[in-house]
Amino acid sequence: MATRNMLAGAVLMAAFGAAGIAHAQTISFADAATALTQDCGADIKKLCRGINLGNHQIQTCLEKHQAKVSPTCISTLADITVSIERRLAAQAGVFKVCGADAATLCKGVKGEAHLLQCLIKTKRIDSQKCNQAITDAGWR
Amino acid sequence: MFLRRSFAGLTLALIFAAGSAEAQQLSDHQLIQSLGKVKAAAPAIDITLLIDEANANVGKGVAGLPNWSQLTHLPQFAVEIDFENNSIAIEPESYRTIGLIADALHHPLLRHYKFLVVGHTNATGKPEHNLELSLKRADSIMTALATTFAVPANRLVAIGVGQELPLASTDPKAAVNRRVQLINLGLVE
Repeated sequence: MATRNMLAGAVLMAAFGAAGIAHAQTISFADAATALTQDCGADIKKLCRGINLGNHQIQTCLEKHQAKVSPTCISTLADITVSIERRLAAQAGVFKVCGADAATLCKGVKGEAHLLQCLIKTKRIDSQKCNQAITDAGWR
Repeated sequence: MFLRRSFAGLTLALIFAAGSAEAQQLSDHQLIQSLGKVKAAAPAIDITLLIDEANANVGKGVAGLPNWSQLTHLPQFAVEIDFENNSIAIEPESYRTIGLIADALHHPLLRHYKFLVVGHTNATGKPEHNLELSLKRADSIMTALATTFAVPANRLVAIGVGQELPLASTDPKAAVNRRVQLINLGLVE
């Protein structure tokens, strides 16, 4: 039994590892949207027909009908909301968190896009905080 | 035997690289690459003139008109987004595409640029209705991006062009003409 669990774990790790979310703390908007469709799609079609994605209306609709919504959908909704918030915070903070690394390792590099390219190249010697911020921002 | 094995390996690698069982063709990297190809001499676009041209040419097409022609010189990408019938509600199957656009627009390569969201229909139904519906749908995509997907609203403009700009060498009635174009309008002032 233990072996079986470990095996399942290893398979999961391999699959997620390749997708770049091994240290899963944040997910992309695209993956969040896919999770929403997969786990809440049926509920949305049943309970939120004609309601749109904008202005958080789908989320509001699912919360309003919470009693009829599948438990998987409710927990997915909570998970992706947290992950996206973390990702947005990381994106907003990357260049501040990586400021010291940028000053020493990417001297003279101008512009966020170029700076990011430089910091991705210096991954091996970047500070752990900076590496984590770039990963959490989804910019590898 | 060896060859066969490495082929199997390649297939597996491709599936894993895609990251999920239902491998998506479109990636945010593709979007970032296409939309980030900004040329130094990009034309400035007047949105009001685009709207005027579209309104004055319902049923006649806008491809040759001065302002719509300018758009071809700008970095752009077209995606398919499905809506409920005759509605502005985006189908759950298309949520991922909106997510991919959001990921691309949040990336440092694109996050200081402004984008035009252009809604297109195919040529079935009345042209006037198509023009109106395409604008409402483009608006609905813009609103989703600007709220649920946290892209600053001042970076987005939505317009509709109905059936007036079908893809070159296609039947205007073909489903492929129902699409959403994203066009890089240049840096946010």
